[in-house]
Amino acid sequence: MSEETLPKRNPDVSWRTIEGQAVLIHNRLGEIQVLNDLGTYIWEHLELGPEILARNIAQEHEVSVPDAQRDVEEFMQALRGSGALADGTD
Amino acid sequence: MEQTERGTPLQRLHDSAFRARHPLFASIELTYTCNLACYFCYNPVQRKSQKRTQPAPERAESPLTFEEIVGVLDQLKEMGVLYLTLTGGEPLMHPRFWDIAQAAKDRAFAVRIFTNGAALTQNVVDRLATLMPFCLEMSIHGAKAETAEALTQVKGSFQRQMNALSLLQGSGLRVFLKCTVTRLVENELADIKAMADGFGFPLFFDPVLTISDDRQFYPMELRASDEAIAWLYKTSGLNLGNSPFEREPGDFNCSVGTGTLHITPFGEIHPCVQWKQSVGSVREKTLQEIWATSPLLMAAREANLKSAAMLKDTVKEHAFCAHCPGLSQLKCGDPLRPDEQYVRVANIRSKLAET
Repeated sequence: MSEETLPKRNPDVSWRTIEGQAVLIHNRLGEIQVLNDLGTYIWEHLELGPEILARNIAQEHEVSVPDAQRDVEEFMQALRGSGALADGTD
Repeated sequence: MEQTERGTPLQRLHDSAFRARHPLFASIELTYTCNLACYFCYNPVQRKSQKRTQPAPERAESPLTFEEIVGVLDQLKEMGVLYLTLTGGEPLMHPRFWDIAQAAKDRAFAVRIFTNGAALTQNVVDRLATLMPFCLEMSIHGAKAETAEALTQVKGSFQRQMNALSLLQGSGLRVFLKCTVTRLVENELADIKAMADGFGFPLFFDPVLTISDDRQFYPMELRASDEAIAWLYKTSGLNLGNSPFEREPGDFNCSVGTGTLHITPFGEIHPCVQWKQSVGSVREKTLQEIWATSPLLMAAREANLKSAAMLKDTVKEHAFCAHCPGLSQLKCGDPLRPDEQYVRVANIRSKLAET
């Protein structure tokens, strides 16, 4: 996956990690999204891209790579749906 | 007892932060300077005709510099504060307002800006829309110039506020309107609601006035009538500030001492915007140090935890009664004494419930 096609964070969404959880502030929508541990790991390491993220998660959580890939893809879709990712990525 | 997780991930973050005494909320009064002179303003400065029995205190120290404010923001971020309110005075009157607001945005706070709207020109609204805070909260003081300007003591302020509301429409900013209910506006509350609806912004009425930070009671001159308070509670579709919420003895009443911090323009730390006792200065200690060691903050937390039980024991209509430990502390030095205004509202609400 080239750098241009890596998922990118929406610059309108501010974010920080609080109490170990990524907190995404959707200022335009007035919504705050709190990610779970796995979501926080993916969000904090988006730049790695879905394939490496899935491999790392599979290794860390002792799940198969295809299962991890599916989880990562589903999470990316959820992030896109919430507006946390910039349009036209991935 | 095992605690089960409830609510959304955000609610769970709030719950866990409260239990861990981790502050998620902070407010900074950037300046006491204001372009209006609202009679009920609680800042410890003289606003035109306010009737003080003692003059407002003079300050020997200088306000926090821009660099000091940025240092405070860094500390608040380090402490895990999520919600940051920039208030005043009129925060837009601070000479470095835009730099401060941007610094807050850059540190990923959910930034809430309080404004009276009187300085909102097209250029200012455009800049606010570029900044894109989490929300903008604007005070309104009447549905017509005569009543609004009786409060603001500035001629032309009503029209400036109306212009601001027009400019804010379609700006993309999330705007909330607030109206403190006084005897000046009590006969036009429905008009104010209609005006807010016309602009398409949610409106919150607050029936409780506060005394000034320097313990002057002049704002109480403007108390609304029982009839006006009753109107608020019997009219459907209104948002009311300071409504009590379901809580049991042992529950936290609010976030004082456990989830919030307030900083004055001079760097003093207060337990909250209403509890006006200094627990330290950012010029002398770090915020973390003050938060971790202040006996007064511990006492505020204790009062907070005891509030629900106190209400149940002392207020007949406790199911309808809100409580602000900070306001009681300010008014009578006892955070666990019910405030007569909240009790009055509770009595009115109870009577309405009977009918």
